[in-house]
Amino acid sequence: MLPESFSFSQASLQDFVACPRRFQLRYLLRLRWPAAEVEPIEEHERRMMMGRTFHQMVQQQHLGVPESRIERGASDPDLLRWWQNYCVYRPVTSFSGDAASASARSEVTLSATIARYRLVAMYDLIVVEPGKRAVILDWKTSDTRTSEAILRERMQTRIYPYLLVQVGAALNCGQLIRPEMVEMIYWFPAFPDAPARLPYDADHFSRDGAFLEQLIERIADMEEDDFCLTSDLRQCEYCIYRSFCDRGIAAGNLDDVTAAYELQEGDVEVDIDFEQIAEIEF
Amino acid sequence: MNGITLSPQQLAVAQASLSCRLFLEGVAGTGKTTAGVARMHYLLKSEIPADRLLVLTPQRTLAQPYYDALRSPDTPGGGVVTVTTIGGLARRMIDLFWPLVAEEVGFQRPADRPVFLTLETAQYYMARIVTPLIEEEGYFDATTIDRNRLYSQILDNLNKAAVVGFPPGEIGERLKGAWMGDLVQARIYDQAQACALRFRRYCLAHNLLDFSLQIAVFAEHLWEEPLCRDHLTETYTHLIFDNVEEDTPVAHDIVYSWLGTVESGLVIFDHGAGYRSFLGADPVSGHMLQDLCDEQRIFVESFVMSGSVTALGAAFDRVLRPSVPDGETAPPIGDAAPLAPAPTADSVTGNNGIRATLHFGNRRFHHQMLDWVVAEIQALVRDKDAFPGDIVVLAPFLTDSLRFSLAHRLHRVGIPVRSHRPSRALRDEPATQTLLTLAALAHPEWEILPSRYDVTDALRHAIHELDLVRAQLLAQIVYRPHRGQPELTPFDEIQPDMQQRITFVFGGRYEALRTWLAAYRTRQAAPLDHFLSRLFGEVLSQPGFGFHRDVDCGLVAAMLVESVQKFRWISADLADNRRPLGREYLEMVRQGVIAAQYLAPWQEEEQDAVLLAPAYTFLLSNRPVAYQFWLDVGGLGWWERLYQPLTHPFVLSRRWPTGKVWTDADEHALRQRGLQRLVLGLVRRCRVRVYLGLSDYSEQGFEQEGPLLGAVQQILRRFQSERGGV
Repeated sequence: MLPESFSFSQASLQDFVACPRRFQLRYLLRLRWPAAEVEPIEEHERRMMMGRTFHQMVQQQHLGVPESRIERGASDPDLLRWWQNYCVYRPVTSFSGDAASASARSEVTLSATIARYRLVAMYDLIVVEPGKRAVILDWKTSDTRTSEAILRERMQTRIYPYLLVQVGAALNCGQLIRPEMVEMIYWFPAFPDAPARLPYDADHFSRDGAFLEQLIERIADMEEDDFCLTSDLRQCEYCIYRSFCDRGIAAGNLDDVTAAYELQEGDVEVDIDFEQIAEIEF
Repeated sequence: MNGITLSPQQLAVAQASLSCRLFLEGVAGTGKTTAGVARMHYLLKSEIPADRLLVLTPQRTLAQPYYDALRSPDTPGGGVVTVTTIGGLARRMIDLFWPLVAEEVGFQRPADRPVFLTLETAQYYMARIVTPLIEEEGYFDATTIDRNRLYSQILDNLNKAAVVGFPPGEIGERLKGAWMGDLVQARIYDQAQACALRFRRYCLAHNLLDFSLQIAVFAEHLWEEPLCRDHLTETYTHLIFDNVEEDTPVAHDIVYSWLGTVESGLVIFDHGAGYRSFLGADPVSGHMLQDLCDEQRIFVESFVMSGSVTALGAAFDRVLRPSVPDGETAPPIGDAAPLAPAPTADSVTGNNGIRATLHFGNRRFHHQMLDWVVAEIQALVRDKDAFPGDIVVLAPFLTDSLRFSLAHRLHRVGIPVRSHRPSRALRDEPATQTLLTLAALAHPEWEILPSRYDVTDALRHAIHELDLVRAQLLAQIVYRPHRGQPELTPFDEIQPDMQQRITFVFGGRYEALRTWLAAYRTRQAAPLDHFLSRLFGEVLSQPGFGFHRDVDCGLVAAMLVESVQKFRWISADLADNRRPLGREYLEMVRQGVIAAQYLAPWQEEEQDAVLLAPAYTFLLSNRPVAYQFWLDVGGLGWWERLYQPLTHPFVLSRRWPTGKVWTDADEHALRQRGLQRLVLGLVRRCRVRVYLGLSDYSEQGFEQEGPLLGAVQQILRRFQSERGGV
């Protein structure tokens, strides 16, 4: 049923784990369903926009744009506080050391073929000290500090280090990255002194590889009717398809979102189709 | 590479040295893009990191073969190749390096973020700027075109200035310099100039970036800014630029300076194309990229055309090629190099081949011609096992009525059909109208009073299975505008016999909708997109309501919510907004400024279906087919260009000297050249046969004897005389 060109991501696999039907509707049928994901929409949108802007500010800083000019763009007080925390705590240097040979790359995308399908991951920042360390830094802009135990279970934590080891050699001067070199760090700008540090090793790598292969194979083998609804009804409170599946009316409240039902970050895409000028009818 | 066997020439391009800059040219169908995709694969297999590789095309549809290849499981793991357009690159760089250049460009709020305008939101601002000038100062009173076309032509002028690379203040002078008619037209050009500059000033004052400003900021500022330029040139060290002939001079300028720094480059040029000249494409400046390349390769052999189709192409080329007597001006827009020599008709399969390739249907009336087209398609599919997806029906302009007539006829005989765009604009979709009518009912402060007809329609679509008669009855009873404000009265206030006629099932659903709207009215108004999202999720998509599990309604509603959201993001913080944004949005929809575009695919297209498309749209999809049907071959549409009183794509091009007058001879040469280019482009994308649909009278009832018909007649006369000679 899966088209050969289908690509998996941490978000799509996380959706599958949460509810196979949601995965089917969103990624296979690509069903557009504009119901609210969470209430109040206004506050959710504000937080999503802030998250996106913060990611961009860090990328700008990494590219060499002067910090003072970047800071001028932080109009929201919470965003300004996050940015100032970032400037004070300097997570990139504090977690990766000051080794002269270390190189940092922001907004890196890696992909590999697993069980005949592409698996794609977009990293906020990767710092590699060739032959020694490879640190994955991920900015978590939620307003709660998620525990390590929950983060460990997230698809992102399993996929990002795995893919880096699997196909990240180009970032390590062409040499394979050993699992023990890798550390995944979630840094919370709202909780700057409480990062979640998750080391990696060969066992994790082996288990994650087998897990991802099995999971993708399982999805690939599923027939249309196999994508069942989740039995965890709380998932439906934070799912746009709840009316499509007859699983409720109003969206759940943002303040009640717990880590287990964490919303996907960065979904707000301010992107405008600037290429549409090329699509004008002759 | 996915089972495709490459020719030795393609292989040589794909496997050229990793430090080589190649210029590859040839006519359509000779396998250039296949070689480009193979080159990309070769670079990746040679352990060039994927994120060092940039693939540029002039528009996304032309990049499809690259996207398809990259999604293949065979593609090596690692980073990801960037496939984009110069416009895409411009937008990304502005987003990233905005703090460095905002002040220098002249934006008056450099600390605030940039706001990127879509085509429709740019039209919205243009409407705000131009409308007072039209209504209070009599601008454009000598023209009769639709206002939205007027706005889009002013935007088009700005776009031309940006992509050709001249200051926007020169638009009027350039247009007037080429004009030698009455003063009225010169005044129109002055007014178009004034509007363009006002729009630009407004954009700078409010951090708004339309397409023209995005290109100008990138080309004139960011590309000159070392931080940005180094970031790009150090990131992307291997470049593939396909269909350069369809890109703009400024894009070529940027790549011209970039090519000098890359480790490897492949530039692909399609001879005889340049179909996007309307949008600023410049094959001449594209061909200049050859100067920066170490080697040049020319592909000649077509992988598409049969021998007889090749002969047909040669025959068309012979009769349509413009003759330029010595001493006269060359055609205004041409290829940098002459079209690659095509084989002569006789040298391939002779005139008999042409006859087998060209089929006619000559009918008196237009509808009879359509019947003939459908009968021929039916015969191809039923008798010759042709795939519907291998058939395309083309016209110079595909009107809604023509599309409907053809689609209806094909559906009737069970042949799947698809079109280049949905049949209705977003604002005309019933789901859109339902949502906007309900929005007006929920916001009495907007003082928008929907008609009873609109309310009937909204109820009919909002309530599952409510028929028109009951919807009319319900609307007649419950919709009571009061003191200029819309009001819906409760179902239980209706007389019992009427309640029974409407039924209590429908009454219950109506009441759920009404109470939801009434509850909303007691709260503070939400942004319109949030309102629509809640209305959709909490009511209309719930069981018992019209959008429940209706994927088409979901799609339309999602597009509407997105359109409103973008509108809110670009206009929410403008100080001069006096009216509620929701009301403003509805007003703009009513005027056709917003939600009038077809911006996104409506639904998953059925691929194995007959395609109905304008000829140029088909050319730019770059997808050959076995059978082509050309409609209205006698029509002038194949030869004419759009009426554009405020702009001129060729006078505003880099090829036209400022101050040189555009004469009738130039216009004639341009049209002739355009027809030749179009016809050869189509033939080169045809594998087996071309069907010509002819009717004595057009769709509008006029007699048809256009130049394309003349060309066909010449070919046939020659064929007959040569046959008679034998």
